[in-house]
This record gives sequence, structure tokens and C-alpha cells, in this order.
Amino acid sequence: MTYHEPSGLPLLIANLVVDYGAHRVLNGLDLSIRPGEIYALLGGNGAGKSTTLAAIMGFVPPASGEVRVCGVAPGSAPVQARRAIAYLPENVALYEHLTARENIQYFLGISSERRTNAEIEAAFNAAGLQEDAFNRRVAGFSKGMRQKVAIALALLRHVPLVLLDEPTSGLDPRATQDFNRLLGGLRERGSAVLMVTHDLLSAADTADRIGFLDAGRIVQESVAEGPDRYDVRALHRHFARPVAA
Amino acid sequence: MIAFKNEWLLFRRSRLGLVMILLLAALAIASVVAGLVEVDRQRAAIERIHPLQKQDVSAIANWVTKTGTAGDAAYFTFHETWDPPSRLAFAALGMRDVSPYLLRVRALGLESQLYDSENYNPELALPGRFDYAFVLVYLAPLFVIALFHDLISGEREAGRLRMLEATPGAGRRLWVRRIGLRYLLLVASLALPLVAGGIVAGAHLQGIAAMVGLTAAYMAFWVLVAWLIGRLNIGSAASAASMAAAWLLLTLVLPALAHVAITRAVPVNQGVELSLAHRDAVHGAWDIPQEKTMAEFFRYHPEWSDTPPTDGTFHWKWYLAFHHVADRSVAPQAQSYRQGLLERDELTRWVGAVLPAVGVQAAFTRLAGTDIQAQLTYQDRIRAYHTRLRTFYYPYLFNDRPFTEADFAKAPVFAPG
Amino acid sequence: MSALTLIARDELWLMRRSRVSVIAAALLIVLVVIAGITSVAHQSNVADTRARLQAQVDEEFDNQPSRHPHRMVHFGHFIFRPLPPLAAFDPGIDAFTGNAMFLEGHRQNSANFGDVRQSSILVRFGQLTPAFVLQTLAPLLIIFLGYGAVARERGAGTLRQLFMQGVSAGTLIAGKLLALATVAALIAIPAMSVLIFVAAQPGAAAGPIALTAAGYLTYLALWSIIVVLVSASVARPRNALLALLGLWSVTVILLPRIAPDLAATAVPQPTRLETDLTLQRELRAMGDSHNPDDPVFAAFKQRVLRQYGVRRVEDLPVNYKGLLAVEGERMTSELFDRYASEGFARQARQSATMDAIGTLSPAVAMRRLSMAAAGTDLAGHARFLDQAEAYRYDLVQRLNRLQADAVSFEDDAAKSSDTAAEQRSRIDPHHWHAMPDFHFAPPEPGDLVRRASPAAVMLLLWLLVPALLLAPAARRLEGVRS
Repeated sequence: MTYHEPSGLPLLIANLVVDYGAHRVLNGLDLSIRPGEIYALLGGNGAGKSTTLAAIMGFVPPASGEVRVCGVAPGSAPVQARRAIAYLPENVALYEHLTARENIQYFLGISSERRTNAEIEAAFNAAGLQEDAFNRRVAGFSKGMRQKVAIALALLRHVPLVLLDEPTSGLDPRATQDFNRLLGGLRERGSAVLMVTHDLLSAADTADRIGFLDAGRIVQESVAEGPDRYDVRALHRHFARPVAA
Repeated sequence: MIAFKNEWLLFRRSRLGLVMILLLAALAIASVVAGLVEVDRQRAAIERIHPLQKQDVSAIANWVTKTGTAGDAAYFTFHETWDPPSRLAFAALGMRDVSPYLLRVRALGLESQLYDSENYNPELALPGRFDYAFVLVYLAPLFVIALFHDLISGEREAGRLRMLEATPGAGRRLWVRRIGLRYLLLVASLALPLVAGGIVAGAHLQGIAAMVGLTAAYMAFWVLVAWLIGRLNIGSAASAASMAAAWLLLTLVLPALAHVAITRAVPVNQGVELSLAHRDAVHGAWDIPQEKTMAEFFRYHPEWSDTPPTDGTFHWKWYLAFHHVADRSVAPQAQSYRQGLLERDELTRWVGAVLPAVGVQAAFTRLAGTDIQAQLTYQDRIRAYHTRLRTFYYPYLFNDRPFTEADFAKAPVFAPG
Repeated sequence: MSALTLIARDELWLMRRSRVSVIAAALLIVLVVIAGITSVAHQSNVADTRARLQAQVDEEFDNQPSRHPHRMVHFGHFIFRPLPPLAAFDPGIDAFTGNAMFLEGHRQNSANFGDVRQSSILVRFGQLTPAFVLQTLAPLLIIFLGYGAVARERGAGTLRQLFMQGVSAGTLIAGKLLALATVAALIAIPAMSVLIFVAAQPGAAAGPIALTAAGYLTYLALWSIIVVLVSASVARPRNALLALLGLWSVTVILLPRIAPDLAATAVPQPTRLETDLTLQRELRAMGDSHNPDDPVFAAFKQRVLRQYGVRRVEDLPVNYKGLLAVEGERMTSELFDRYASEGFARQARQSATMDAIGTLSPAVAMRRLSMAAAGTDLAGHARFLDQAEAYRYDLVQRLNRLQADAVSFEDDAAKSSDTAAEQRSRIDPHHWHAMPDFHFAPPEPGDLVRRASPAAVMLLLWLLVPALLLAPAARRLEGVRS
């Protein structure tokens, strides 16, 4: 394993400002996630969700403020930061003509990592991929199956931080449930999960905390447990509120 | 190493890429085989000539020795010259399909013999031959387009780019590996058949190495073009179209424009003018006093100036002398004709410095000895041989020695390069 | 406005808005114009040069001093291959054949000083002529402009919308085709202007020019159909482009190159020297004029003596040496003709083999049509060589007959040893004036059209195949709807 023990929180964002030209996309974002915590980041179109992910992965430089992934600033050391991150785009795109196993081997290979077949199979099992799919080309895989492959990859890489971009969009209720169980598995292994989503219900099902992003900052944050636990209906009202408000 | 192996797996599984590489290898093999067959055919044609030529000379010897007139021998005997294909000729047949590699000359005026054409079907020559240089210069870049046009944009269009970039260890090294693998496969599919052909043909190592180096450099150029266009971020289809347009310009349009420009910049009409002047000089000799011709001849060959003068009637020594004088009289035109050809070649080299397709083609034909310079070198050898031939006959003519059966065998033999 | 014209107008508007398309089309049009101007200039320049040289050598021939006729047989004559008017459009094999030919007695010389041996390797990259641009480059432009015509709509999902609006797949394809054909026609305009210019030149005939124009328009239409067909049959624009590029490189670049190699292997061509040596051997077998006891020439002598009713050649009223020269030339020329026609037949077989392979490529059929109609193909060259040989034979025999009639046998026999006899054997220069000049008889226009017809038929067949495939492609495309 090439990843070093974290020297800080899996994710720490403090007063982050990101500009695209003259346009301020993130405006003083504060966000931190502990190991084994699932954080759902909700927000309307243009609220800055994708930019937040891009900033965490080191694709956009902060104008001010800071981002730390396990203590590393992705802006200055993107490769080191990315070693701590697994990223699942909205539609996990894999190499269609490779099998599930080969895709895992390929992506691990890019970061010069190697796992035994037994380890890979264990990860597939943990991710809930049926055994007959291990050695099938992913061309015929559903979105849920692709996510399972990508989660297995994240598990194999023992990453402290998993970024999920709209993971439940387009999944049927049963697959959503399946996916939520998977997140539970990640939490048990101590990974921090940041999930960017529109899907309030799924977020409410799994998230330990829910943050609401508007105009580049967290405007409201709720937790699942304790006296401040969130009320789904209230959140829904908030979510449906016009962006301009 | 694992990463490279994984790239290979990825490449191997995408059918298009593998089919492309195999197709290119097949074309390269076919072109090398076609080149080897053609070179063999040319060697066989040269071999076939030797016995025919012997028969021809002995038939002439048959009746000439009856009188022993050396002039008859000089006038009627044609002597063979040949320009065997080099060991590397199979890779770039160049101009060998349109210029003679076999030519017979007599001891008479050379300038009316030197420029004879070969018998070939111009409709076959028009499109050009299918040789390795063609596969490399024209076809291989099209394969680069097929393999590289969606290198980055394909990942983006499939939605994998973000995830790939977020994978640690991706970045530049990933692209270097991907490009490197495709590049190596391209070069290997071209170079291996070439090297195999070179070994079969018994070519020198340096020559083969130079051709392999050219192959690698030319492919690197096109991969670079593909990479630059890929970075424009314009989508797979637009990238492919732009690359094809670049190919069109660099291998078809600009060379054709350069050809028009060079043809206009350096006209070479001296060839025809030289032929006309030579004819006038040869036939005009009959109308001027023989002494004048002989005096001119002795300037070039003072060693014969002490021989008895001609008496105004026909004498072979006078006949050969005025032929030589005619050659000398058109030497400036011959020189300027040659100069014109060299100038065109020189300009082509300049064009080749700018247009890789032209440069590679020129370098290949140079290495293969199938370009215009090789043609001129062959002409130089013929010139040198012709001088030996003339001076072989002169002692018989100027000393009035009979030409015997044995003398036919003493005639100088052409030494190919 | 009907749906069809709307679709066509929309597609054209899209091309018009794409800067790349406009630049590409403009570039090609500029290229055709440059090619047209340089080709016309080159053609008239070459034609002028050759005409001037021809006049010069004709005059030189007429101005030769008193000579022995046999000396004039070897002084010989130069002739220059004239360039047909349509060579300005398609010079065909002109650069690949010698253009100056030396004619003399009992030798058949080659046509020398062809451009191909004088032009460095660049000539092998293709010559910039209107024919080259239309045959090779124009299809590529049509591909660039049209590969996405239908595939783009399919990829973007607009295809379904169009179908929901009640547009049929047939109308859609027809509209796209109309747009692409319009652009193709636009490209063709400058090239057609060159043809019209050529038509106005002296010696130009309407038939071959009309056939050439029709041929190229068919060819461009054919590529437009192929492009729309592929675009409608492939799911993604990128795949359509790759398929079309592949098709183009195989039919326009690869096949025309492989065909000559296969033809040369199928019908091997001996070297000029080998032919020459076998010919010499056969010539010797026919009889040896140097041998006084040779049966063939002895028999000829007996025949002549009997004909004139004399016993010795010295008693003949004509110069026996002249008669011998006439007979010798007749015999050698018969052999030459046989070898030449064998050679032509061989080359024609090679070309036919090439054409047969070329049925796989519309570009080969197009090139054949274009060269045949222009008279710049092998047949055109053979026509020149035939006429050159006929002229050579006539000229040499006239001179030989002069030797027989105007030079006495005694002088002829003594001329090598007797300067006075030598002087008497020279005949007056007015005889040279009496010799006819070489005038190339251009082929009949009908002949050119006839020669180009098989290729025209081939091109029409080519047009038919993709045209017939359009309907099934439209049906398949509509299947996308459900």
C-alpha cells in the first residue's frame, strides 16, 4: 500500500473561494468530514456542487481559503491528494471491452498498484457485485453494477475519502437501496464519503450530515442523530425554495 | 511495467486498434514482398541479358573477323552496361520503373545514346509503384489518424476522463504510456517487415537502421501532429477531420504545388536542344574538311596526332573522331542539362526539409539508390566506360591493326557500382 | 417550401456557418483554380515549345546541304508529340512518356526526355491538375462536409424529433443529399470553366469534352451519395468519418497503386534491351546483308536482275544499293512492326488488367474515362507512335528510293575510296524540301468518346449501387424511431 496514514481529517475545506473568470462560484465554503462519516451535499443547479468536487480533486485552483485532503493541499500536490481519493462520476464510465476484473486491474495499474485475484474478489463481494459478473465485459453492465465495480476499486485502494457525484440518479428504488447499503459498508471501513446529490430521500436515508449549498456556501447543515437531527420535510421545503431567495 | 502491460491489454481488447495495426503490418509486408519481387525481376532481367549479349557480339564477330576491319567492330558492336538494384532498392523503387537500368552503347557519339528511355507502360507508371516508401509516406499517417484521433477526446466522450484524471498516477505519464504503446506498435508493424526484407535482401545494417530511423521519425512527426490537434479539444470527429486535412495538405497538395513551382523555376529543355545540336555536329562533319575535324580531335587525344593524315576519303578513324568531337561540342549543353536536373533535385531537398512526406521519400530513394542522383551516377559510369571503349578501339584504327576474334574478348567490360 | 428543400437549406446553412467547412471548400475551389490556370498555362507552353521545335527541325531538315541519301536516312528527323487540347484538363500520361522522338533508318528509337525522368521525385506525388483535384481531393472534401449529415442528427437525438414532425427518412436523406450535391456542384464550377475554356480552343471537340464534364459530375454525385449513405447507416458521426476515410484511402490511394504492380506481374514486360537483342537475333536469322552468299539476299538479287532483264547489278538502270536499302528497310520494318504491335498488345493487356482491378474503385474508372476522352492515355500515345513509325518508314523509303534513282551504282560503290565519286553521290538539297513533314492526325472525337465509354458505363454502374442502397438505408433509419 502506497498511501500514507492520514495526518489530518479526510476532508477539510475552510473559507474556500473559487472564481471562474469574473464569476465567483464558491464563496467562503466551509466543510469538513470525519473518517467513517457520510456527508450529503445538496444544492440546486449552479450552486457549486461540481466545482466543490473539482476543487477537492485539484482540478481548479482556489482563489483563497484552503482545501486539505488528509492534510494535503490538492491545489499544490494533486497527485498526492488524489491517492487519498476515490471518485465516482454520475455515470461511472469503465472500459467497455474489458471485464470487471480487468477494469480494476487497469485502474490500479495506473497508480502502479497491484492486488491479488482473491483481494479483488473480496472487494467485489463487499461491493455486492454478483459473482458471474466478475469476468464479464462491462459493456452490458447497468449503472448500479458499474458503481459496484467503482466502489470495489475504492475499497481496494483503501482510500480515506470517497467522492460520489449524483450516485443515485437514474437508479430504481431497489438499486438505490442496494447502493445505500454499500455506503454503509464504506462507513464501516472508516472511509469518509462526500456525496453530491439532488436526491433528498436517498441522502436522508444514509447521510450522517446533510449540507445545503447555495451560491457557493453552505447555508444550512443538519445531522441525522441527536437533538439537531434534520427533518426531511423541512429540508424538502428548503430544497424546493427558489434559488434567488 | 504493470501499467504498460495493462495498456497493452486495453489496446488489445479494442478491436479497432488491433485490426489497424495488423492491417498496417499486412500492408507493410505486402509492400516489402512486392519490392523484393520487383528487385528480383530486375536482377533476373540483367542476368538474362548477359548470354543474349554474348550471342549478339559473337554473331558480329563472325563476319567482322572475315575482313578484320576494326571500324566495323567499333560501329556494329554494342556493349552492355547495367545498373543493378542496390540491396535496399526493394524499400523504395523510386525512378527505376521509368529509367533504364540496362543500356547498350557503341564507341560512337555517346550523347545520342545516353538518354534513351526504357520500355514501360506509362499508365502503370502514372500512379506509382506499391513499395514500402509508399506505405510509410502515404498510408501510415492515415493509420495514425485512426489510432490517435480520439486518444483524449474519446475518453472525454465516453465520460471516463474525469475519473481517469482523478486516479493518482494518471496525468502525463498515462498519456505518455498510451501514446508510447500505440507509437511503438505502429513503428514495429512497419519496421519489422522492413528489417526482415533487408535481411532477405542482404542489405547493410546501417542502411536498414537509417530506414528504420526515418520510419520512427516520420511516425513521430504524425503522432505529434495528432497530439497537437487532440489538445485543441474539438471532439473526436473534428480531430479526425483536421488530421486528415493536415495529411491531405502535407502529402498531396503542397508537394504538388512545389512540383509546379520547381518545374517553372528550373526549366530543362536542354535535353532536346542537346540532341539536336549533337545531330548537327555529327552530320555536319561530312561537310567540313577532315583535317579540321582531326585537328580538333587531336586536341583531346594528342597521343594520336603523329598518325598518318586522312586523305579525304572515308576512314573509320575519322568517323570515330568526328563522333567524339561532336560529343565534346555539346558538352556544355550536357553539363547544363545535368545541372538543371541537379538543381531540381536540390530544390526538392529544400522542399523535403519543410514537408516531411517529401523529405522522407527523398531520403528513402537516396538510401535505396533509386533517385535522380543514382540515375546520374549510372550515367557517369556509362560515360567513363564509353571513354574506355573508345580508347580501346583507337589503337586498332589509328595503327591500322586488324581486329581479330581474340580482340572481341579484349573489349573492356562495364563495371557496375 | 417543402420539407426536402427545408432540410437541404438547413444543412447548407449549417455548413455555411461552420468556419472549417467554408475554409475547406474555399481552399479546394482555390486549388481547382490554381490547377486550372497552371495546367492551361503548362499545356499551351508545352504545345508551343513542341510546335516551335518541330518547325525548327523541319526547317533544319529542309536546309541540309547536298548529301548522299543514305546519310539523310541517318540524319533522320525529330518529331515532337503534340499535346491534345484536353491535356490542359487532364494531361494523363504525358509526363510519363518521352516527348521527343528521333526517327532514322533501320532503327526504332524511343521517345525521350519525358518529364518523369527530369522532375525529381515530386512528380510521383501527383501533378496539380484539375483532373487530380477532382479525382482525388474533391471526394475528401465531400466526406468532410457530409459525414455528419445524418449521423449527427442521430447522435444528437434530433432525428427522432424530425420523424415525429412527420418527415420521412427518405425525405431527410434526399434533403441531405441535395445539400451535399449542391456543394459538390459548387466545387465543380471552376473545373467546368476550364473545360469550357478548352472547348473554345482550336482543335477541341464537343463530344469528348461533354463526356468528361458528365463523367466528373457523375463522379462527384457518386461520392455525395456514398457519403450520405454511410452517414445514414452508421450510428455515430465519428464512425461515419472513419469508414468514409477508409473507403477513400482504399479506392483513391491504395487500389490505384496496387493495380499496376499486379498488372506488371500478370503481364511481364521485357526490358527494351532484351527486346532489342531478340529482335537483332531474329533479324540475323532473316538474312545477312553483309554476306554476299546469303540465300535471302542472293534470291532478292536474282529477282531484281530478272525483273530488269539484265545479268549484272552494274547493268541495272537503277542503283542496286538503293534497291537493297529499300528491301532491307522493308524487312526490318516488318519485324519492328511485329515487335511494336506485340509490345502495344502487351501494354494494352496490362492496362486492361489494371482496369479490371480498378472496377473495385470508382476513382480508377474516373481516371480511365478522363484520360481516354482527353486522348492522353496509352491509346493516345500508341496512336502517336504508330503515326511516327508510319512517317519514319515513308521518309526512309523515299530516301532509299532516291538512292536507287538519283545516285549511280558506280559512285555509290566507289564513294568510300574516291572523293570525286563521293561528291557525285551527294544529291541536291531540293530533294529534302520534297520530303513531307510530320503532321499528327488527332483522333476523331467519336473515337475518343468510344474509348471512354466503357469507363463511363462502369461509373454509371458505380453510381447505381449506392443509389439503390439508399432506400434500404432510409427504411433502417426509420426503424430507429421505434
